[in-house]
Amino acid sequence: MTETAKNDERHQQILKAFQAAIGVENVKDNPATVNAYYGDWLPPKILGMSMPPEFVVLPNGTMETQAVIKICNRYKIPFIPVGSNQWSLTGSPNRPHTVIIDCKRMGAIHEIDEKNMYAVIEPLCTLAQVQAEAYKRGLYIGSPEASATASAIGGHVFQGMWGVGYRLGVAYRNILGIEWVLPNGEILRTGSFSQDGDNGFWGEGPGPDLRGMLRGYAGAMGGVGMVTKMAVKLHPYPGPKVWPVEGTIPNQTSTLPEDRFKWYMVKYESLEDAIKFMYEVGRAEIAGVVQKWPTVYYIWWWANSNEEYWTEWQKRTFQDNVKNAVGVCLWGFCSGKQLEYEKRVLEDIIKETGGKPVKQEVYDMWVPRTANNWIRDTHGSRMMRPSGTFLALRLQTDTLKFSIGQVKTGYKWVEKFSPPILDSDGPDWIGGYDFGHFGFGETDFPVEKNAEVLGDLMGKLLEMVKEDVGNGLENGVGPFLGGAYHQMAAPVFKYDKLLKGIKRAIDPNRVSNPPHQIDPDA
Amino acid sequence: MAKEMLLPKDPRYLKYPLEGPFDQEKARWTAFNCSRCSVCKWVNSWQVKSARYARICPQHTRYLFDSHSGQGKCDLALAIIDGKMKWGDDPEIKDILFRCTMCGGCDAMDKNIRDAELVKLYRWMRTEYIKDQGILPEQKPLVDSLKQYDNVWVQPRSKRNDWAKELKALGIKDLNKEKAEVLLFVGCTYGLSQELKGTIVNIAKILKANKVDFGILGESELCCGSPPDKIGLPDEFERLATANIKRFNELGVKIVVTPCAGCYGTIRVEYDDLPVKKNFQVLHVAEYIETLIKDKKIKFKKEVPVAVTWHDPCHMGRMSRPYVPGKDILGVYEEPRTILKAIPGVELVEMERIKEYAWCCGGGGGAFTAFKDFAQWTARERLTEAKDTGASMIVTSCPWCESNLRAGGIGMEEKMEIKNLFDLMMEAL
Repeated sequence: MTETAKNDERHQQILKAFQAAIGVENVKDNPATVNAYYGDWLPPKILGMSMPPEFVVLPNGTMETQAVIKICNRYKIPFIPVGSNQWSLTGSPNRPHTVIIDCKRMGAIHEIDEKNMYAVIEPLCTLAQVQAEAYKRGLYIGSPEASATASAIGGHVFQGMWGVGYRLGVAYRNILGIEWVLPNGEILRTGSFSQDGDNGFWGEGPGPDLRGMLRGYAGAMGGVGMVTKMAVKLHPYPGPKVWPVEGTIPNQTSTLPEDRFKWYMVKYESLEDAIKFMYEVGRAEIAGVVQKWPTVYYIWWWANSNEEYWTEWQKRTFQDNVKNAVGVCLWGFCSGKQLEYEKRVLEDIIKETGGKPVKQEVYDMWVPRTANNWIRDTHGSRMMRPSGTFLALRLQTDTLKFSIGQVKTGYKWVEKFSPPILDSDGPDWIGGYDFGHFGFGETDFPVEKNAEVLGDLMGKLLEMVKEDVGNGLENGVGPFLGGAYHQMAAPVFKYDKLLKGIKRAIDPNRVSNPPHQIDPDA
Repeated sequence: MAKEMLLPKDPRYLKYPLEGPFDQEKARWTAFNCSRCSVCKWVNSWQVKSARYARICPQHTRYLFDSHSGQGKCDLALAIIDGKMKWGDDPEIKDILFRCTMCGGCDAMDKNIRDAELVKLYRWMRTEYIKDQGILPEQKPLVDSLKQYDNVWVQPRSKRNDWAKELKALGIKDLNKEKAEVLLFVGCTYGLSQELKGTIVNIAKILKANKVDFGILGESELCCGSPPDKIGLPDEFERLATANIKRFNELGVKIVVTPCAGCYGTIRVEYDDLPVKKNFQVLHVAEYIETLIKDKKIKFKKEVPVAVTWHDPCHMGRMSRPYVPGKDILGVYEEPRTILKAIPGVELVEMERIKEYAWCCGGGGGAFTAFKDFAQWTARERLTEAKDTGASMIVTSCPWCESNLRAGGIGMEEKMEIKNLFDLMMEAL
């Protein structure tokens, strides 16, 4: 914000309007404040593609948020809502005069309904906070790979591809009632909030289910106006009331009750065999988590320092032991007997599919330090550790079987783009969801954080994406989030008219989160 | 032949890159590699036990805007170093830098996910700010006092003798005249505060009763250098610290014990960055006395029936050891707890945020002097957390924590007794 701009009459008018709506102390336009709201782990800031916002505002509650969004519409200035600001995916302004709506004054848990198993939360609440309150009541909410520091509402409206989605449904399908300020400033209440503002019991109707306008995958993936209150599903949890942690940062471990939880790390000769095993586990309708992590994930989440990361990587500690391994966590949701039954079933499946347990010392390295905690928090930000940042080649949502081809073509691109992609042993994350009825594939790798390297890689990835679009995106969608993602994927999958139509209807001034949304006029 | 591995070209990613003096290049590296993961704002997720006590950073919790967080300070440092902003561009820069209590909560959480030194970054930023914009007017009396009296409380040196007289009556050695194995380094705040001086007398009595060969420096004791170190005056820190190291080495003491968490963290960790090397071990009094308890040298005679909670002072805990990448963030966590558990009748109940996750009292980093409202707000948060344990007393062993918790408690509806560990211990002897 330059002095000239600050003295601009229009700027002063907008400033006064915000101050009148939410209080002088909750609106800032000074350089030191706005400077803290345009960086993230993605390339834009490093490549000079993002810029500081003009204002940062902190409304409290639905009415103040509505007032802020109405002012944005009146002056036709773009706004970006941010949650806990963890990683700030596509939250960086990319055009002048942007307003950041920061929800730091909206962190309440309004209610946890134990009997009906849901929580009513505000946007600042992190998943770790909701988890802590849920555990006390014998209930559970998951955590995405990004980390439990993520906003629970943000996680639900974006992807919500948490590991327990295998059994409990991915987060975006755990949304119940929503209180939501639309891009034009109108308030929309969905599900049971539409009948009773305090009751979040159900998500559907009456009338059309409007959640699809908001959430992933691949609706708008969040950022449509601003959700100020949401009811989210909670699930039965057989674990302790307080998450068990031993040790001191960064050497912490967790031990889960053996009569209710059991991890199996099962290794296969080929990726195809590993996926076949994942299907069989789903067919048996057992387990809480079924994930095929790439080797790079193991060390990302496990290493406690850069030196440890690169030393163990060069020793091939994980590459030689977990390639094509599948992690399965059995949960005795109802009883210890359930766990015993599932163990017997799983062991039969392992035998029938030719699986072998990973080496005991690798299991012992991984499970207490990482896997057990992974159902609470992944320490996802450790993914930046080895080189300052990481990127993905493609994201794909389809079947588990389809993921095989997708990640295998990914290997070739990774090979072709290495360097600048750093050593990553053919990254291939394949997550099983809904008892294996669908699979999510992602190809993540470390890359050195500097403008030259990232600029080079982004150019290369753009070439890959052009080829992918030409092929009908049959191998997934490139590493672009938000508006760029929809601009690319929507015409191919033919949801562009729908998304653009929604945008035109509820965002006539095109002010809602421009970096994140499809441009209906493009 | 196996393919050569593709490793980062910049060797700073391959091993810990922040050894040695923390200069602008290290500041930029730390700031540039912030990925806005926001772990600096929250208690590590595994340790979050309730929604209420999930925050780690007092400044960010109170002032809300991200500019007041570790992430925001990284963004500010980067903008300054890269020439996009200047220290004088915005009056709020002063608040962003100096409201921070330098408690290291963000730093400890950040070390869980990357090799970084946020507190060192803040210290570097404060130093650069002062070079450009001058000392904060609120902190000028403190700095003048250091220069004039070698203490931060604008008190003449002779004032230290108020309590020293009592100790001399007990037969405590004056190390200006006699030799001893242990130096009891009292620190400015315990040494000059009327409210706190009883603690020193109690500690001296405990050590004396256990035949510890120790002595004091009385009015010739200098400030440890912690305040100038925290507020960004490295030259003043170096003057005091160098003088202290030389003096302690000359005295030939084997151990320097101190009851002040600030002095402890500074002498133990920050002195290591100076050219003059220490020939002595540094212990907090709690470490020393815990050994006496374990060796069964201390016998408690009375019962003190009270439920207490222990407040971990930042500089006795997560800030009291040099960072070794990948290794535990250690501190004096167990020793005071062992002492409390040994006192008959005392029931120790823990707060949610303890040890390396402890919430700061609010009194550190210069906030106690320059931003009293904020310091006391932070203290009230801690007292509320303490109250929620069901304890009726919060025990600690840091004069800044004690004073600031007392100040914060004024006017609070529910009272919580605040007591020094050794004063409580004395009640049972």
